[in-house]
Order: sequence, then C-alpha cells, then structure tokens
Amino acid sequence: MAVAALSAAEAPPQASPRAISRQRAIRRFKLSLLAPLIALFAFLLVPVLLLQLYFSFHQWTVYLSSWWDADYVGIDLFKEVLTDPRFGWATLRSLAFATSSTLGCFVFGFMLAYLMKRPFRGQAIYYIIFILPMLTVPVVVAYTAEMMLYQSGPINDVITRLSGFEFKPSWLSNPNIALMTVSLLEIWNWTPFSFIIMLAGLSAIPKEPVEAAEILGASKWRIFWEVELPLLRPVILLALVLRFLEAMAEFPKTWALFQGGPGSATETLPVYIFMTTWQYFQISKGAAMSYIVMLMMVVIVLLAIQLLRREKRSLDKMYEQSDEPIAGA
Amino acid sequence: MARIELCNLEKSFGAVKAVKNLSFTIEDGEFVVFVGPSGCGKTTTLRMIAGFEDPSAGEIRIDGRVVNDLEPRDRGLGMVFQSHALFPHKNVAQNIEFGLRMKSVPQADRVKRVREVADMVRISHLLEKMPNQCSGGEAQRVALARTLVTNPSTFLLDEPLSSLDAKLRRELRAECDRLHQTLKRTFIYVTHDQEEAMTLADRIVVMRSGEIVQVGSPMEIYSNPANYFVADFFGSPSMNLVAGEVVQNGTSTRFRSSWFDFALPERFKAATPGTATLGIRPEHVQVHVGTKGDIELPVRLVEPLGKDTLLYFDASNDRAFVAVTEGLGMADIKVGERVALSLDQHLTHLFDTEGRRVNTA
Amino acid sequence: MAMTKSRRRRITALVRYAVLSVWGVIAFFPIYWIVSTSFKLDTQWFAWPPYYFPSPPTFANYMNVWFGAEEYAQTQYAISSQKPLISLYNSTVIATTSTFLSVLFGSIIAYGVSRYRILSEVRMFQLLVLRMIPPIVIVAPLSLYYTAIGLIDTRLGLILVYFLTTLPYAVWMTKSFIDEVPREIEQAAEILGASRWRTVFEIVLPLIRSGLVATFLFILILTWSEYLLALIITKTQVTTLPIELSKYQGSTEGRVYGRQAALAVGITVPLMIVGLIIRRHLARGFSFGMVRR
Repeated sequence: MAVAALSAAEAPPQASPRAISRQRAIRRFKLSLLAPLIALFAFLLVPVLLLQLYFSFHQWTVYLSSWWDADYVGIDLFKEVLTDPRFGWATLRSLAFATSSTLGCFVFGFMLAYLMKRPFRGQAIYYIIFILPMLTVPVVVAYTAEMMLYQSGPINDVITRLSGFEFKPSWLSNPNIALMTVSLLEIWNWTPFSFIIMLAGLSAIPKEPVEAAEILGASKWRIFWEVELPLLRPVILLALVLRFLEAMAEFPKTWALFQGGPGSATETLPVYIFMTTWQYFQISKGAAMSYIVMLMMVVIVLLAIQLLRREKRSLDKMYEQSDEPIAGA
Repeated sequence: MARIELCNLEKSFGAVKAVKNLSFTIEDGEFVVFVGPSGCGKTTTLRMIAGFEDPSAGEIRIDGRVVNDLEPRDRGLGMVFQSHALFPHKNVAQNIEFGLRMKSVPQADRVKRVREVADMVRISHLLEKMPNQCSGGEAQRVALARTLVTNPSTFLLDEPLSSLDAKLRRELRAECDRLHQTLKRTFIYVTHDQEEAMTLADRIVVMRSGEIVQVGSPMEIYSNPANYFVADFFGSPSMNLVAGEVVQNGTSTRFRSSWFDFALPERFKAATPGTATLGIRPEHVQVHVGTKGDIELPVRLVEPLGKDTLLYFDASNDRAFVAVTEGLGMADIKVGERVALSLDQHLTHLFDTEGRRVNTA
Repeated sequence: MAMTKSRRRRITALVRYAVLSVWGVIAFFPIYWIVSTSFKLDTQWFAWPPYYFPSPPTFANYMNVWFGAEEYAQTQYAISSQKPLISLYNSTVIATTSTFLSVLFGSIIAYGVSRYRILSEVRMFQLLVLRMIPPIVIVAPLSLYYTAIGLIDTRLGLILVYFLTTLPYAVWMTKSFIDEVPREIEQAAEILGASRWRTVFEIVLPLIRSGLVATFLFILILTWSEYLLALIITKTQVTTLPIELSKYQGSTEGRVYGRQAALAVGITVPLMIVGLIIRRHLARGFSFGMVRR
C-alpha cells in the first residue's frame, strides 16, 4: 500500500510563490551565455583592430620612438601599398597558389572519395593512410619537403629510377618552379581535407535516387552527372571555398621552406606582409597592407558565406531526411 | 489542489494561429483528455500549461494564480512526453531520482522514494539499467515514475502511448487509470486516439484547428456529438454518415439521398429543409435477412471479428455503409447479396448544412 | 552476361586498388621518410644515393635532440640545449588550456544559439569570418598590443589568442552535436526542477560528451600545430614545438636532418594519434559541422 502512503503523506506542492519574471530570467540567461564571447571580443579583437586602423593612418616604424606620437599621414600609406608592384605580384602569386592548390586538392580528393564511397576490403587502412598528411604539422611538412626535394634527394632519385630518365629539377632553388613546389606541398598536405569532406558527402547521399536511376537503366556515367553530382554540390562548394580561404592564408610552409625566395618567387601576400612588418619593420605599411588584404578577404569571405549559407540549408535538409543516431546516446 | 483555468488563451506561430481564444477550466482531481487530429492545437495547449510555450494572449491560472510568468519548474506540474525523454546517460534509478535531487531531498529519502515509486509502476527490477536497455513500454513506465516521484499537483501527458504497440498501449492505459484513481491528482492527457480518450477521460475536450469543438463526458460525446466532425471522429467503426437532404412532405419530414429515403422521427420535425447529413452508428443498424427493412443494400465486405461481425455495404456515396452484428451469425453471408437494414430511429443523428447537430425538439 | 558482369566488377576493383595504392604511396612516403631519417646515422642523412632504410637504426637523434645527451653528439651536429622538453611542456599547456576554454565556452555559446538563438544565422556566419581571415593581417597590432599589456611572450597571451581563433570551430562543431539532442529531454529536466544552467551542465553537455571529446581533439590539432601566431607572440621565453623545430633551420647548424626529423616525429606523432582517434569526426570539424558523420 505504498501508493496510499505516498499520496496521503504529503500534500502536493502548490505553484511556487517566488515569481521572478520569466522573460527577464531568460534574457539574463541568454546574456550570460553570450558574455564570454563579448568579453573576448572587447579585450582582444577590438583593441587589435583599432590599433591596426591607427597604424594604417600614422607613419611609424620601430626606429621611431613612441608609436603614439606617430605622424598622421592620411591615406598615403594606402596609396603607397596600392602602387607597390611587389604588392601586386604578391597578390597574383597568392591567387595563383590558392587556385592551383584548391583545384589540385579537389581533383585528387574527389577521385579518392569516389573510389572509396562503397565499402571494400582494406578500406579502413586506406582511409587512415589517406588522412595522415593532414595530421602532419605544417612546419614539419616544410622540413620533410626540404629533406626529400634537394636535387640529389630521394624524390628525384625515385622518379629517375622508376622512369629510367634523368629527372633532376631543383624544386627548391629554381625560381620558376618554387611556387609550384609549395602548391604541390599544399596539395599533398590538404587533399585529405577535400577527401574526407567529399567522402562524408558521398556517403550521405540517399541511396533511393541512385537506385531508382539504376533501375531506370541509366549508365554509371549518367548517374554520376545527373544524380550524384547535383546532390553533392553543396559539399563540393564547401570543400572548394574553405580550402581556397585556407590556402590564401597559407604561411608556415611557404615561410619555413623559402622565406619568400628564391628571389621573390614564393612571396605571397602573407609572406610579403610578414617581411614588411618583421624584416623591414615598416609597421605602418604592413598595417595598411593588412587592411587592404583584410578588406579583400572580407569581400571574398562574405561572398563565400552567401554561398555557404545557401548550401548549408540544402545540406541540413539532406540530414533531416536521413536518420542519424543522437550523439552520445 | 490544482484547478487549472485557461482564459482566452491564444498562441500563434508567425501567421499560423495554433490556438484560438480558448477558455476552459479543469477541476481539481479531474482526468481531462484533449483529443483531436494532429495540428489541432492540443499539444500546444498542453505545452502552454507546462510553460514551454508562452501564450500570445490570455492567461493560465493554477488555483486562481496567474502562472504565465512562472518557470515550468515553479508550476508544480509533472509531465510525461511522447518520446518518454529519459536521460540517456543516466540509469533508471538516477533518472527517477533526478527530480528529487533538484529539490534537494536528502540522499536517504531519495533512495526510499525511488524504491516506492518503482514498486508502484512495477519497474523495481530495472533500476540499474540504462534507458536504451529498456523496451518502449518499460521506458514509458520509467518516465511515469520519474514524474510521480516529485509528487506533482497535476500530471501532463503528451501522447504518452502513441509510440507503443496496441497491447502495451492497453496495458499502460489501465496503469494511467489506476494511478489517477489512487493519487487523486489532476490529469491532463493529450492524444489523437479517440479510444484512449473514451476509456480514460472524466471529461473529453475535442479540439479542431485551434478551437474547442465540444466538451463532455465520454458518453455525452459519443451519444450526442455536437457536430459532424465529432460524430465522425469518435467510435470505431465510425458513424455512418449519409449525405442527402431534408424534405418537408406535408405532414411528415423525410431524409432523402440518391439511394435512401427515410422518414425522420418526430423529434426532427422542426428541421429546416435543405442539404443535411444523417448519421447512425453501425451498432444501431439492424440487419434482417430476407425480411423488409428501411433500406436494402448489397454486401461488399464481411469482417468477422469474433465477438461481432462487421458488414460493409455498397452505398452509392463514397463511404461504405457499415453495420455491426453480434456473434458470427452473419459471417457466412455472401458478398453481393442484398440485405435489408433497419435503423434505430431514436439513435439517428441529423447534421445541418454547416455540420452542426440539429437539436431534437 | 553473368560472366561479363563479374569480370567487369573484378576489373573495376583492380583499377580501384591500383589508383588508391598509388595515392597511398604518395601520401605515406614522406611520412615514412621523416620517420626513417630520424633513425639514420649522421652520414646517411644527405648521402648519394639516398639511404632508403636506416642501417643500422640509431636512437642517437632522439637522445640528442630531446634529452641533450652529449655522448651521441660526436660530430658538429651536436645539439646540447634541452629546449625541446621545455617547448613540449609549453605546447602541451598552451594547446590543452586554450582548447579546453574554446570547447567549454564554445559549447555554451552553441547551446545558446541552438536553443535561444542568441546569435542569428547571419551572426553565426560572421563568426566564421574570424576564422577565415588570414591571421597574418592582425599579428602586428596584436604583438604591439600584447607588449603594451604585458602579455607578449607569455603562455596566457598565446592561450587567449588560440581561444579566440578556434572559438568559431568550437561553436559550429558543438552546435551540430547539440542540434541532435531532442528538446524534450531538456524540457523533462526543466519541469523536474532543474535550472537552466543545471540543464546545460547536467543534461546537455554530458549527453554530447563524445562530440565534445571529438571537438576537443579536433581543436587540439589546430592549436598544437599553429605556427605564425606562436612565431610572433613568443619571442624567447615561451616557445612552442613548431617554433622550436624551425629554429633548427639556420645557417649555423647546417643540414641537421636527422635531428630535425627526430624532433619533427616527436611533434607529429601525438597529432596523428589524436587525429586517428577522431578520424570519423574530422569531416564534421573541418566543415564547421556543416557536413555530419
């Protein structure tokens, strides 16, 4: 008779008398969730951006005394940067580097993902080997490249032995191919990124449309072009956009391996900004350059974000349809 | 201890009005079932009572006190969810204990109470298990126990049985009924299943597109449906509803459709002529083989259920006309055979053009 | 008909294995090379023709680089500082602390976004800008700012920057996990008397703990291998491992490949272990949670 005991023993609680305004409590809760972000921005991001802005309009180098006394020079620094041919070349190099490495990562990543989309024996091993380059510290990639790419090094040796032809490009000291070398390194380093994203995309494609197309007698080629590729579009765009933006910012490999050389063959935007600021100590010019690059990137990023927002919606829709287990459950 | 008043309650999601100007009072200790098709606003109403949705307008009072601005936890309610919503990372005992811990009940008391409640809903053997090791029925019992242990003044149950199979559903339905009788608390139960509503409720609230259509005891709802919608919604098999028109023919009032002509009983004398619907429950249709009845129809399908046999007849309107006969006497009847049927005059219903019940004179 | 189909299938499989194996060699060979170099004797680092296997393998490089053991440093390649162990300590402290902060606050913000929409969709994407703008554009003012407030060359300074730059990843990735938690579970806790914070810490976060671990390890990969910010913010006192490694690249030391390799292996192995543990979550991480599974 535990039931009776339970119900008789105590009166059920009444609606609690303490009436804090619920709306106010929610508002306060929301604010406290957001507080760390606001604090971090106020403490770190805002001062840095303001300082950046200050230096872009005031001529200062470390040889001058206190930076807060620097002369106001208006937009002179911006003029200087925009008429600097080295800046123009650096921009072109960055674009060439980012475009070529993005496309390379995409082509190889997609090929691998497509070949791995169905389970087969040994798939897990291949998957592990394929993602290893991504898990290599970028600086380590640079030094490994140095150990392998010198003229009589193992890479040239292997290619010479396999092909039977004397193959001796100087990957590291020939100004004509140095940028390509970095681009190849970037492709080696980050093809895994494109690969895993597109593999995830391919495995999330619902089976029904593909099977339906198969039953309707479509060839593999047609299924690829008319069913799989359109379904994969958001994932492909995501992989391209993120990779391009990361490649535009690539610094560790380029710097550790070449420091902008040979000549100025690998002087991309990040490298040129770095040199202006930390080797020529032209803080103000570096700041102005940074602002221009930042604006450039913000434009690209905002365009990219427009794209991503649209594609994310179709991705979310795709996941809504597939049954996924609850995380951690 | 908990009288819940809903006063002019409204809820809109954007342009969609989920609940429209709803006023209703749930008496203390009552078992009220909100029933209606999906999207009728019943769950939204329940969630407003619980405090998970803020009403767009109107008030919710518990024992006379407006609770619109109270946190769900301060309203003294308990809720059982459709998906049972057990905490997957806590075992059954910890799940049940949770509400007590939130109220800072001392450890020793907690253990005792968990045991008591587990005994009450017969899940003592599950206490060490994780929720994903429990079957659907067990999980729902655990959810019930988790709510029971906090001893709420009111139980809110949001389609708690809809994810279970038929047998378990019946079992747990009985459990809910038993709990209500022993605990004497207010129960507010939401379902789309008319059978659940009929068997559990003291009072049924029928809702449709955000509005209350009819309130009444199960018997009232069943025998005096307020309109076409309610008549159609309750009862299984559902009421035969024949579209036609009322014709005043000198002294007598008749109901006519393309295949059917029926003298309306005296109480419908005042019915206005025009389009109307005649309703009669299948169990109020008598089947006569060979003799003459009110109408004669060909058999389309025979469903022997054991206790009764259902006969479906071809009527020229879209829905089959159904009759229930007791036992298996009619099970051998041939499909296509014409059978005479007579309707129980006292148990016919008439609905006007708008679907409203035509009141008896 | 059946013959041709099974034959075609076998050829497809063969082509697949061939292509995948070629890429497998390309992907693996450099990693093999640096590992094998780390076990090579001084004379084999730069030999012609190249040594493809260390013979005999030696631990000298490891002993010398990591522990400054002099007896292994007979040649001009001797490296006697014990800086790598200090850097290892710095890297560990900086990476784990900043990652922990990032995941903790990131998941709280993500919860707010998922349930209370404290950031609109547009704001969420604007948060990504923080991650997508090249860090080079802010390092100069950051370094001056840090000098002014005394955070230059300190662990805390680097921790805060990493916290800021990885926060977008943390928010996006944990949000994708939180979105999968049914709201009813939280509401059950709420009506049973749990406060909002209690619901977050006792129900939601424990529920997505495997996702939190994945996010933690994923961000650890980023903070562990970061180079540029570390290069500029840590001058002399608080170097991290990637910076330590780049110091071996100097005219004075010449080509100390074996030693570099031993250091590089030490830096990369933890990263690979972490990465392989969470390999199924990498796609979700790198795509800001937009690609799941």
